[in-house]
Amino acid sequence: MEMFIQTLVAGILIGGVYALIGLGMTLIMGVMRIINLAHGQLMMVAMYITFVLYEFLGLDPYYSLLIAPPALFLLGVTIQKYLLDPLLKIDSVIPQNQILMTVGIGMVLTETIRFIFHSDYKSVKTSYSSATFMIGSISWNVPMVMAFGLAMLLTAGLFFFLLKTDTGKSVRATAQNKDAAMILGINAEWITQLTYGLGAAMAAAGGTLLLPIYYLFPDVGAPFTLKSFIITVLGGMGSTVGAIFGGLVLGVAESLGATYISMALKDAVGMVIFVLVLVFLPGGLKTLTKV
Amino acid sequence: MKKFFRCVLLLTLALFVLVPSSALCQGSIKVGIILPATGEKAKFGEIEKKSFEMALEEINAAGGVNGKQLEFLYEDDTGRPDVARSAAEKLLTKDKVVMLGGGYGSSETFAVAGVAQQNRIPFLVNTGADNKITEMKWDYVFRLNQPVSDYPIALESFMTDVVKPQTVAILYENTNFGSSSSREFQQTCEKLKLKVVMNEGYQSGGVDFKPLLVKVKQANPDVVYMISYLMDASLLMKQSMELKLTPKIFVGGGAGFTLPEFVENAGKAANMVYSATLWYQTLPYPGAKEYYDKFLARNKLSVDYHGAEAYSSAYVIADALKRAKSSAPDDIRESLSKTDMKTVFGPVKFVAYDKMTNQNKLPTYLVQWKAGKLELVWPGQTATTPYVYPIDWEKVWK
Repeated sequence: MEMFIQTLVAGILIGGVYALIGLGMTLIMGVMRIINLAHGQLMMVAMYITFVLYEFLGLDPYYSLLIAPPALFLLGVTIQKYLLDPLLKIDSVIPQNQILMTVGIGMVLTETIRFIFHSDYKSVKTSYSSATFMIGSISWNVPMVMAFGLAMLLTAGLFFFLLKTDTGKSVRATAQNKDAAMILGINAEWITQLTYGLGAAMAAAGGTLLLPIYYLFPDVGAPFTLKSFIITVLGGMGSTVGAIFGGLVLGVAESLGATYISMALKDAVGMVIFVLVLVFLPGGLKTLTKV
Repeated sequence: MKKFFRCVLLLTLALFVLVPSSALCQGSIKVGIILPATGEKAKFGEIEKKSFEMALEEINAAGGVNGKQLEFLYEDDTGRPDVARSAAEKLLTKDKVVMLGGGYGSSETFAVAGVAQQNRIPFLVNTGADNKITEMKWDYVFRLNQPVSDYPIALESFMTDVVKPQTVAILYENTNFGSSSSREFQQTCEKLKLKVVMNEGYQSGGVDFKPLLVKVKQANPDVVYMISYLMDASLLMKQSMELKLTPKIFVGGGAGFTLPEFVENAGKAANMVYSATLWYQTLPYPGAKEYYDKFLARNKLSVDYHGAEAYSSAYVIADALKRAKSSAPDDIRESLSKTDMKTVFGPVKFVAYDKMTNQNKLPTYLVQWKAGKLELVWPGQTATTPYVYPIDWEKVWK
């Protein structure tokens, strides 16, 4: 029983961070109808920003939450404005050539970072990196709990933005029906730029929160792109509430799989769930929540 | 105007591509080297490439191969067997290299070895350690480094003479290298009448190894043997420290556990950890210490067995090419099989033993991390400092 609870705790904590990263991709999916395959790579760039701030200015990774996500927001807006938007105007054989573009952007980001920092593995060693506290016989890793808490706060902030502010409502309107939104005077072009920026910022926040626990190197992004993709599909292609549950489900499934099946099959567990959801629940988890 | 610029740009690019291949390569001997330059194993590939380049400069400065310059063409295997395969094919068909070298990850090396054998081109492996690479009776595939079954030989005597454990837990990365290592080590344990309480694989690149380590803790073994690349190794040790997992000894099976980055990333959790290793700079091989110092001076980085393997492999390649009757693959294969030379990595001679052929046979060693420094501790006569055992983990991790 103790092992089960410990596993569950670990799964939920990491699931919270997955959810935050996955939310970014879901948001982009919802508004632009494309899968952002550079998502993990954007997260990687943010992790390097955090790392540089820590290494050279001694800035605690959590303070970087005020710097890395805004920086990635700007990068995201720039990418959308100058690299993705122009593609909309070109007719091509493949209707969704923006997706291919994101793959390219991901590669360029990875190789640029490799050019600057080489393939060295880096990690941020804070005084609390390995700190733990015990509740009963369950051990809680401090930075993991912090990451979960902050991820939930940021998610709540995003929901407030989407539900209560005018701009947020415009984002949702554009996601629901772009043409109608434009007729009503919403600047759809700006909204897509904003959304891509926001998505990148969410990934950035996730990466920054992971850094005290994890490590980084130029290729750290790809597995997270895959995870976000699974979460997006689990949640039901563009449903933000679904994505949160998707993230938690993925985290818990990976963790339980590692304990009770085999850690060697950790990634396979995520994929099996992915397939099961596609077969039995094609609409994703959002069909269960009715939101 | 725009078109004009585009033309100029294209022409310049074309020049860059064409000039070196026609002007610089006159009369050089081309050898293809396949290493990971991107992907998760890129760090290791970088160390090996630097060593290859160092050796190449020295070889060419000393007159090259029979008056001709030696040239290494590097290809990136990205740490994926399918890419490694096409990289090898490209080197053989397009660049027309006379032989292949390199080979880091076992899975990639195995793929390249297959291509080399099919095309009847000699391939000298310098790191890929899975036993089966030289167990296929492939007469064009040679291996400089020890096979994975030999990694824990020093550990074996250390366990029987010093630790005298009862139980062992094995954790391994689920790749060719990891699973064959764990299989071999399990057999070693059975031979020594040790109980293997756990033998489990994991997927590399995990964030949280605690589910796995909790299970180890419940099994409470005397020895924890881990086969991991760099960052998994750091995380495994850090999280073991968090969970206060305290076996008699932690032992790494080479790979990630001997790199300076391991201690950089794992911090105090790396302290007192043992690892199997294939080479150490103070071993009485001619040039070993000089190579280590030169690498350190050039790259501001201390080097472990990976670099030494690559460096020596470059010399073995040059030596084989010098003695070959012609640059025909069969002549090179012939002269490679007659190799008998001393390198910084140890004496090189390709023999058949156990089920392997064309395999170099060398002893292995045990190292221990002490206060951020890697020290050779076993076998006793080669040790640089005495081993620390028993270990009080409470004190080490404080």
